[in-house]
Amino acid sequence: MHVSDGLLSGAVITAGFVGTAILTAATLRKMELEEIPKISVATSVFFVASLIHIPVGPSSVHLLLNGLVGIILGWRAFPAILLGIILQAILFGHGGVTVIGVNSVMLGGGALVAFGIWQLRHKFSFSKNEVIFGGLAGASATIASGLILSAALITTGEEFTVTAGIVLAYHIPVMIIEGLVAGACVGFLLKTKPEVLSGFRYSSHHPSINKSAATSDSSKD
Amino acid sequence: MALDIDRYAHVESFLSRWDPRLKILSLGIFVFCVALLDSIPVALMGFALACGFLWLSKLPLNFVRGGIVFVLIFLIPLIFIMPLSYPGQAAFKVLGIPFAWEGLRIACIIIIKAVSVVITAYSIFGTSRFDVSMIALQHLKTPKMLVQMLLFTYRYIFVFIAEMRRMDIAMRSRGFVKGFNMTTLTLMGNFVGTLLVRSFERTERVYKAMLSKGYNGDYPTLVEFNAIPQDFVKAILIVLVTILLVVIDITGPFKPAMLAWF
Repeated sequence: MHVSDGLLSGAVITAGFVGTAILTAATLRKMELEEIPKISVATSVFFVASLIHIPVGPSSVHLLLNGLVGIILGWRAFPAILLGIILQAILFGHGGVTVIGVNSVMLGGGALVAFGIWQLRHKFSFSKNEVIFGGLAGASATIASGLILSAALITTGEEFTVTAGIVLAYHIPVMIIEGLVAGACVGFLLKTKPEVLSGFRYSSHHPSINKSAATSDSSKD
Repeated sequence: MALDIDRYAHVESFLSRWDPRLKILSLGIFVFCVALLDSIPVALMGFALACGFLWLSKLPLNFVRGGIVFVLIFLIPLIFIMPLSYPGQAAFKVLGIPFAWEGLRIACIIIIKAVSVVITAYSIFGTSRFDVSMIALQHLKTPKMLVQMLLFTYRYIFVFIAEMRRMDIAMRSRGFVKGFNMTTLTLMGNFVGTLLVRSFERTERVYKAMLSKGYNGDYPTLVEFNAIPQDFVKAILIVLVTILLVVIDITGPFKPAMLAWF
């Protein structure tokens, strides 16, 4: 799912870092102080949730959830994923420090695609609109990431064409799993705390936010 | 797999005594250059150097092993994929698929470089406290906001892992068994949702607590860095060795033998 060190060419690695810098600058604009802990805490949830393994046949895959990050954090999903990638690289060499840029563009790009699809939900009116678009967003994030990864491999050298194909094929079952989990999660959040989903987030005067803040204060500690 | 990368940061070593800023900078340059090497002998030299750093860091080997195994799981398949898919002249055929030595060479070099980078990353970040490393990164012009978010995120990872374990025990004690079916996927969605709801409620409290302690966007710290001349000597030495590696790789005796192994 992640690219490792030593695989990609210098040009691709540089392109990854340049892309990450541009996207981070663009998605971090007008950041408010309040969002620093919010993004960090959301990032750690996704970091931890990506340790969840789902058994598939004799093997297992772990959740990516980058689509869900897009659904929850909107534009801020990109910096959140960058944080997760940096930590994975530092903490257990998952990915690796030299490919932080490429991995961020890959997974963060997927998250932004998911956010785009998620925003389309307003244009349709199915009975379970949010769940359907949540699932679609989760699935499209995975496949977008797979495509970016394959593109990075093929740009490195044509000897990686077959590897890129295998990587892309591997993303298809993951895509289905991601879509279903994201859809279920959106359905759950819709019932329990809909203001967590992006779109609700920027209207900070939404009554349910104040209400939930008040209840949460008394519920814990 | 250990998530607390700085578990052995208290161990006195050549690397832990070094100013973290210079350590991250010089070994960072080393890591990037190693990742771009092109020939197996030079990559092996890089690997030897990386092992040297690990030895200097005095980190226990089984602490690092988890990270190496993790990388290998992802890269071992390349040993089979690359030789069989390399375009161009094939040495012989395996079950009708052309086998090219060049593909195997590429797979080997990727694995050598990846392991070297991971080992070095452990030597960099395993030898100082995590917050000290992050503040060093801030001194190296990493955006302040990013560093703060990294510190917060790192802190909460442990909180949420504990939370997740608790929820997992609760689910299993009620008879839940993971499988590849719709129920599992739906429940996993709800599981993640619950974690999210709890985390967002926590953020509100965290932010209020921070505000009440006077948070205004700065992260005050008592960590101070003092680079002594010796630190600079170490850094310059490592950068020089790295440049030497790159020079050997580009111009050196191994270049004409790109299609061979040596």
